[in-house]
Amino acid sequence: MASSAAVASAAHAPSAGASSGLARLPFLLAAIGGVGALIGMMVPGLQKQFAFSWLLGFMFYLSIMLGGLFLVILHHLFDAQWSVPIRRINEHLACSAPIMAVFFLPILLNALLAGPEKALFAWMHSDVSHDHALYAKKALFNKPTWVVVSLILFALWHWLTNAFRNASLEQDRTGSAACTHRMRFLAALGIFIFGFSLTLGAILWMKSLQWQWFSTMYGVYYFAGSVWLTVGTVYVITMHLAKNGPLTPVAQPVIFHDIGKLFFAFTVFYAYIAFSQYFLIWNANIPEETFWYILREKGSWWSIGMLMIFGHFFLPFLLLLRIDTKMSFTVMLPLAIWAWVMHFCDLSFNIMPVMHPNGFVLHWLDLACMAFMGGVLATWFIRNFNAHPPFPQKDPRMAECLGIHVPAGKSQGGVH
Amino acid sequence: MSTAARPYALLAEFDNPASVMHAAEKIRDAGYQRWDVHTPFPIHGLDGAMGLRNSKVGWFTFIGGTSGFTLGMLMIWWMGKVDYAIPVGGKPLFSPIFAVPVAYELTILLGAFGTLFGMFFLNRLPKHYHPVLKHPRFRNVTHDKIYVVIENADPKFSETETRRLLEHVGGQHIEVVED
Repeated sequence: MASSAAVASAAHAPSAGASSGLARLPFLLAAIGGVGALIGMMVPGLQKQFAFSWLLGFMFYLSIMLGGLFLVILHHLFDAQWSVPIRRINEHLACSAPIMAVFFLPILLNALLAGPEKALFAWMHSDVSHDHALYAKKALFNKPTWVVVSLILFALWHWLTNAFRNASLEQDRTGSAACTHRMRFLAALGIFIFGFSLTLGAILWMKSLQWQWFSTMYGVYYFAGSVWLTVGTVYVITMHLAKNGPLTPVAQPVIFHDIGKLFFAFTVFYAYIAFSQYFLIWNANIPEETFWYILREKGSWWSIGMLMIFGHFFLPFLLLLRIDTKMSFTVMLPLAIWAWVMHFCDLSFNIMPVMHPNGFVLHWLDLACMAFMGGVLATWFIRNFNAHPPFPQKDPRMAECLGIHVPAGKSQGGVH
Repeated sequence: MSTAARPYALLAEFDNPASVMHAAEKIRDAGYQRWDVHTPFPIHGLDGAMGLRNSKVGWFTFIGGTSGFTLGMLMIWWMGKVDYAIPVGGKPLFSPIFAVPVAYELTILLGAFGTLFGMFFLNRLPKHYHPVLKHPRFRNVTHDKIYVVIENADPKFSETETRRLLEHVGGQHIEVVED
């Protein structure tokens, strides 16, 4: 029953992103943003700003890639049935490691070629024999390790995300339960790879901007914000595809309640983690740790900090308390856009004070880099999405998810 | 309580969730207000079929939670700044930052109390006597039967019409429950 509906919907799958002028938006964003980013890369006076803006955009979209990977892992770890219809979306979101690796090149080139005045990572130009903080962390914070570990991270992500998607697509053809078992095994292994690799990425590319700092919560802090952003994004993609696209036959109202609950959970989780990191440092009151937050209380960074409390947490928290708002598109679409703005501000709060210590600056290069990467990744996502069935076709959990009773011995396609 | 037994409700038995779901939809559409479905296990979607609105327990939780947060903040402020001020480590006598753990825990505690006692209040618990419990067939509700009970007090209740409706929607062993 589910699979026949799936076949029917796969036929008009190419219309997924092609409705109205929305289809041209990714290309426009990539073109305009690309020109802007190119100017930033070429003009010497803009190169430092470009490097920081690019890093901000890179970490932003890395959030969505890793968030997608996490949602896939979560699905299999808990043997979930509610998220079967949206799993293909998550798998495609996660499968952007090659693009992200290309986006990493300017950061890599900055690390390898830039002089101290334009460098993203000042520790690469600090003398380890006179810098005790760097000396203590030199096992990780040295150029060769930084480069090699960075490249290993992309290789791991590429392998893991594709292993999930390949198994999932294979099940579309064979219907074999063995695919589910393989993905379940990958999830149990993958959650460790995910945890360590995300933490390393957050430390190497973002936290090391201020290498003297200590926070054992930095990885989970980036994780919490990333998954929050991704869940909001997945909500909107599902909404779009369910309204008039290929997800109509499988996206029942309850799935929006479920995604909304996860969004709510990560709203709280992010606040819990962000507060805990602040609280521990505030309470211990050690200069080696407090300097990071003191920098972020100067000028308009203070307002961004307040925005994180009231805009990143309280507003979505209070809105998402009710069931009807979780299921209302008129509330959730603006809220998901708001989540993008909040995560952007959050990453800016983490990255930009190093370059703009006097206050928050919204540079046009920030927007150009965001637009360029967003446009390219959206094109990549839509191409991938249209090339494959829009949702798992023969997943054994699909009927259960849709509330369809399949009598024993009548299920089709199970080979295992 | 009078000695003559008064009718309390009509009770009908169902065998499976699917049939009771359809029955509930028809009873809902017939406009009955004071009726209930008793099941041995939760049936997803039954509240929608019965036309029940979202529970009001959430409001008790919310009020409990916000009271807890406010009380926690006030408590730490009162103890640290007003009643027994001791400067520690150059920190202010009151800051919302170190009051958060206490306020947060009290939010959860009073939120949970609100949920529990709100549920008791809305369900009118504890209730030591309910007429259906003495009906001989009703004990199967903890085993494998589902019961629809339409109360006498419902404005639309009529012994013959209601019985006909219950028969029409597939109820078996339709019997009167005495008060």
